[in-house]
Amino acid sequence: MKVGKIIKVSGPLVVAEGMDEANVYDVVQVSENKLIGEIIEMRGDKASIQVYEETTGIGPGDPVYTTGEPLSVELGPGLIEAMFDGIQRPLEPLRALAGDFLSKGVEIHSLDREKKWYFTPTVKVGDKVEEGDVIGTVQETPIVLHKIMVPFGVSGEVTDIKEGEYTVVDEVCTLDGNKKLQMMQKWPVRKGRGYKRKLNPTVPLLTGQRVVDTFFPVSKGGTAAIPGPFGSGKTVIQHQLAKWADSEIVVYVGCGERGNEMTDVLMEFPEIIDPITGESLMKRTVLIANTSNMPVAAREASIYTGITLAEYYRDMGYSVAIMADSTSRWAEALREMSGRLEEMPGDEGYPAYLASRAADFYERAGKVVCYGGDDREGAITVIGAVSPPGGDISEPVSQATLRIVKVFWGLDYALSYRRHFPAINWLNSYSLYQPSIDKWMDENVDPEFASNRAKAMNLLQDESELQEIVRLVGRDSLSEEDQLKLEATKSIREDYLQQNAFHEVDTFCSFAKQNLMLKLVLEFYDQGIKALKKGVYIKEIEKLAVRDKIARAKYIPEDNIEEIEKITEELIANIDNLISKGGILDA
Amino acid sequence: MPQGKGCVIYMFKIAVVGDKDSILAFKALGVDVYTVYGSEEARKTVDTIARNNYGIIFITEQTASLIPDTIERYDNEIIPAVILIPSNQGTLDIGMKRINENVEKAVGSNIL
Repeated sequence: MKVGKIIKVSGPLVVAEGMDEANVYDVVQVSENKLIGEIIEMRGDKASIQVYEETTGIGPGDPVYTTGEPLSVELGPGLIEAMFDGIQRPLEPLRALAGDFLSKGVEIHSLDREKKWYFTPTVKVGDKVEEGDVIGTVQETPIVLHKIMVPFGVSGEVTDIKEGEYTVVDEVCTLDGNKKLQMMQKWPVRKGRGYKRKLNPTVPLLTGQRVVDTFFPVSKGGTAAIPGPFGSGKTVIQHQLAKWADSEIVVYVGCGERGNEMTDVLMEFPEIIDPITGESLMKRTVLIANTSNMPVAAREASIYTGITLAEYYRDMGYSVAIMADSTSRWAEALREMSGRLEEMPGDEGYPAYLASRAADFYERAGKVVCYGGDDREGAITVIGAVSPPGGDISEPVSQATLRIVKVFWGLDYALSYRRHFPAINWLNSYSLYQPSIDKWMDENVDPEFASNRAKAMNLLQDESELQEIVRLVGRDSLSEEDQLKLEATKSIREDYLQQNAFHEVDTFCSFAKQNLMLKLVLEFYDQGIKALKKGVYIKEIEKLAVRDKIARAKYIPEDNIEEIEKITEELIANIDNLISKGGILDA
Repeated sequence: MPQGKGCVIYMFKIAVVGDKDSILAFKALGVDVYTVYGSEEARKTVDTIARNNYGIIFITEQTASLIPDTIERYDNEIIPAVILIPSNQGTLDIGMKRINENVEKAVGSNIL
């Protein structure tokens, strides 16, 4: 193939001429160092290439070799527990090869070619298979059964299949006598993997975070965005979701954020035991890291790499959650490349195609029926953090994101300053999955769950109005009912919504516990109103000792949640006692 | 409820709360008399009659001193007006003090 010649270098953007044989989005190797790049624009025989590695030392005249292939990822056993960079180079072997920081032109396979996996066939000779059918399985980690599928566009009759220890590139299956299949397959990252049909996502993703699960749930196969100013806890919430979400696979994309945030993940995840599987969290996690000091062009690709891996596991019939932290850095990478390409800028310098790129990414989420004869259902939940400068979400990235995603968790700096974690503002956040999830909750958790939730939300909304009055004329001017309302909402805020991510028990809260806790804090309001009607004074209700127990209900371990019901009984008994002591006479 | 010309007249009742010796004489004026002993009974009685269409509740200072929370509760309410009166054992001066305080709040200085 013809070799191109560099005529211009501008940071990660290289322009080469003599590239008439190449196509847009082909991967090229730049200079003798063989830096990996991707063609993002073609004009005549001039190609603009974004280079995924440091371009220092490259100059005009250097050669450019075309590979003729689009940017692809390798899919097969060995993805879980690994950490990759934005273009799926494994970081651990890279470090062994080239030291702590990325160096130029290191060539390495994404998946280990030496490691042997035990392949167990699930089809036998003579079976007819079509694209997406599972031909065998590999126990990738104790909890992840990796299903080896027939690649898209291939079908036929199994003429040979082998059981035993093989590497990812060994041939394990032959179709029609001539189509050799290996465990690994390749897929271009910019193209969504196909599926039979999309389903409506109606099952909530259990995240163990009360404010998320109760008030702003995201469904398995849904999309959510977490915009928030610096220091409001986006990353901690992303980590919490990655830790506790009840999806079978988690892909965590650290995109342009600090390196030590990925270190936190690497240090904490192996030690945390997943409450659902009983295994280490790392055994279901794939990490993709393009930290802020890594090449900016690879940041643009890291999001696509992540979602392609997620789609691969979805195709096996798993429910996958992908966290992207932060999509603003990704948009900034787009902006940088767009600026160097001298494209006409849109709002705030972001390229005009920002919204469509963001949509491309989020639209790859969803609950689908996968290819293959057995109609497996898989789901991808996408949760993207957005870092709007100054916390003002009227900027292009937040707006482009909010147009697509259905759940909005608006973080509030004032809340995080008050040490209220998760600092999700309950007044401006929303979830468009609420109606369908309400139904699921009513059927699977408690028939009253949705009405309780609505009641608590109404109280919180009333509170914000009452707070305005309190600021103007003081708390004592409120009626006793309103004062009780303030007390009850304080209890909802502090005893229910607030959650300690670093407390052993409180960091995760099941649906059953959430239901009981919500009932308990609401019971306090109902009982309080009843007592007030009977002539009990608000001060006496405020002083009840059982309120301490309500506040501590969140620290009751999951296997002991009937304790919460006991607190409810104690609360009712206490209130009845107050009524008999101080209530009005039944005249 | 009696109807006046073009307006509705609400009829409120008047109650006196206190120990029997101090307040029994009020019965002669047609005022409802509630004799109470102890703070719990006093509190329940005041709260109950406050909800039962009483416009003015006279209460002896001795009884009122047992239930300061209850008295305070009606400070910001227009109805009923809770008015402290001396008992047959003389005054404790808390009724007058309350009036002075209220005057001071209303006009800025004690003009009484």
